[in-house]
Amino acid sequence: MVHGYGGHILRVDLSSGRILREKTDPDFMLDVIGGRGLNSRRLYDELKRDIDPLSEENMLLIGVGPVTGSLFSTSAYMTISGKSPLTGILGDSAAGGFFGPEIKYAGYDQLIFTGRSDRLSYVYICDDHVEIRDAAHLKGQDIFQTTAIIRKELNDNNLQIAAIGPAGENLVRYAIVACNNSRVCGRTGMGCLFGSKNLKAVVVKGTGMVSVADPLTFMKLCKVMDNRIMTHPEFQDRHDMGSTLLMNALNGLGILPVNHFQRGVAPYVDKISGQTLAKQYKTKNKGCFNCNINCSRYYVTPAVESEGPEYETLCSFSSRIGNDNLEFALKMNHYLNRMGLDSLSAGETIGWAMECVERGIFNKDDFDGLEFTWGNRETIEKILQLIIRQEGIGADFAKGTRYLANKMGKGSETYALHVKGLDIICGDPRGIKAFGLTYAIASRGADHLRAEPFFELTNRFDEARKRFGTRDAADRLSDNGKAILVEYTERQALLTDCLTMCKNVGLSMDILDFEMAAALLTAGTGLKFAEERVNKALRKTITHDRLMNIDFGITAKDDTLPHRFTHEPLLEGASKNQVVPIHDMVEDYYKLKGWDKKGVPQKP
Amino acid sequence: MLIIDPSKCSGCRRCETQCSFYHSGKTGHFGARIKVEKIEIKGIDFPVVCHQCQEHYCTGCPQKAISITDRGSIEVSPTLCNLCGTCETLCPIGAIEIYNDIPYVCDLCGGTPRCVDACEMDAISYDPEIKQTLSLKSFKKQTKKMTPAMKRHKYANQATEKMRTDWLKDRRA
Repeated sequence: MVHGYGGHILRVDLSSGRILREKTDPDFMLDVIGGRGLNSRRLYDELKRDIDPLSEENMLLIGVGPVTGSLFSTSAYMTISGKSPLTGILGDSAAGGFFGPEIKYAGYDQLIFTGRSDRLSYVYICDDHVEIRDAAHLKGQDIFQTTAIIRKELNDNNLQIAAIGPAGENLVRYAIVACNNSRVCGRTGMGCLFGSKNLKAVVVKGTGMVSVADPLTFMKLCKVMDNRIMTHPEFQDRHDMGSTLLMNALNGLGILPVNHFQRGVAPYVDKISGQTLAKQYKTKNKGCFNCNINCSRYYVTPAVESEGPEYETLCSFSSRIGNDNLEFALKMNHYLNRMGLDSLSAGETIGWAMECVERGIFNKDDFDGLEFTWGNRETIEKILQLIIRQEGIGADFAKGTRYLANKMGKGSETYALHVKGLDIICGDPRGIKAFGLTYAIASRGADHLRAEPFFELTNRFDEARKRFGTRDAADRLSDNGKAILVEYTERQALLTDCLTMCKNVGLSMDILDFEMAAALLTAGTGLKFAEERVNKALRKTITHDRLMNIDFGITAKDDTLPHRFTHEPLLEGASKNQVVPIHDMVEDYYKLKGWDKKGVPQKP
Repeated sequence: MLIIDPSKCSGCRRCETQCSFYHSGKTGHFGARIKVEKIEIKGIDFPVVCHQCQEHYCTGCPQKAISITDRGSIEVSPTLCNLCGTCETLCPIGAIEIYNDIPYVCDLCGGTPRCVDACEMDAISYDPEIKQTLSLKSFKKQTKKMTPAMKRHKYANQATEKMRTDWLKDRRA
């Protein structure tokens, strides 16, 4: 018997209604570990490359890791993968909460959805029982209502539900999937993929348990991990504010996106900071499955109450678009989660439009009469509605900033801040060079989560020398030693995704190392996961992802950053005068990976 | 008894995980004797566990398989129990539930409850001096024909009413 793993792979073909349950193959798992690694390999082996992402030939995968749902702290995640409707390349997005563990308790390691249902449906999985159910009555319902209605009709308040809102149904290219209302798979439009398959929700109930091969050793290792988390220098701040602590922190570093990355410092940061949020609106901490940091927060404002927000949403709907009103940002967090829209991509389209208007490239007549001035709350609410409904100018906004800028032209393309079609996150790379490299080479586009090199922000110069051979790896403004840092954190990031544990913990806090992961995997599953074996699996997955992206049309030309970050120095603050010498950094990275000058790896 | 402070509970289910692992070496919601009821839309998280109620309804077991220990916790005799499910029906808050042919109920881990240690939010505490003081009589009336899960849901909703009122008063004053 294999421990740790759920033991089965579920295949649901939505076109034919055929449902298949396969046994998980331990030898195969040694090669991919689980979670995102498992998803990537499945796509590499089975996905036809030249398909339209919205066609029924696209695959929708939900993967969980081998020790998810166990005693292992923060092992709460799951990853959704497929060909991205937003970018047309590899797409994947992870979320915490309780959905991942529940899949394990139901006895699965991966759920595979293919084809397209002829009408709106949802899939209900209770252990061995799998059913495709009609969802006509859920059409147009927001995510909160959908979750409530399904729980009521199945008479079970503990169901774990990953659902899409109207944005997903209407095929907004950056629609989200939200688990139990507020744990969100936000990026690369996995909600749109749900919508294209006429899949309103996946509902899971698991009554089983997760066993481990060597409970005593496993428990001891988990205690070591717990200790690392509890004694971490960032523990208290992360507990109090979660990722919203970055509002103030990045402002101090001069890299907080203000007015669409035109500036890196917000004079009004105290009005929108994580501290203010915690003091004035937080009612209590919330946690994902088996977490000991509990970094999420429940908040109540005069208008709304909800969980969150995370930093990226808070920043996207405050300083990034010139809004200094915290209550408005909190209202938008609630609204976007209900309607099912990615706050980052939505924030970028709005920020882009505002900058274009400020520069005089466009005026309100180009945008159906909407006044795109900084922080214009009326316009923000209105355009979001249009995007979700795909009405008027909203239909173009709904296809993402790359499409929008290319269509509207007049030089506005320069101000579309994306890499490979994925809108950039809220961290100005000019003051964090390794992040810049990460955005440029990440398999899903301008995102930190493929290799978040948080290490460069921690001033651990001795550790940098030891681990990466140069103290510069820990100097955020230096471009030296960043390729080697990113190569390391890219594997570390994938490792946390394969274990489907929290990336804030495993990666940003640098809690998970390869030796520990190998020990945990061995004690958890009983399979021989030696450290070299784990690293080999990770390297192979990264190479596969790259080869897949090359099949999707990615070339070395795409491994770059928007013009702003490479040519326009920051004007003020702690990262003044900085730009990212991205060309050289990417070249270093290729060399280190053994890829050729065109960024092509050798086939494994 | 175990004392719960819902205003501190983050809903992370560490108590469940540790409880389940301590008793069986495995982890899972149904393997736990403390079960966190989550009502996301209202920000409610409430670990439901045996409150050692004054009425000790479960001792109405027709097989006389249930007795009360010196600590006030419930003890089920595996030889007398015939899995009739009466205890599940009798308990007003869904703190006893049959899973894999065993009635799962809190046994206080023999005096050092693992959930108390597991909770990093200090939402669960243990006071060995408090036994059988809480009455569930009025609540019991509202739970006819409910499954244990439904009873937990209802109880969590009711037990957190004051917390919610305080929140709204505090944040919307």
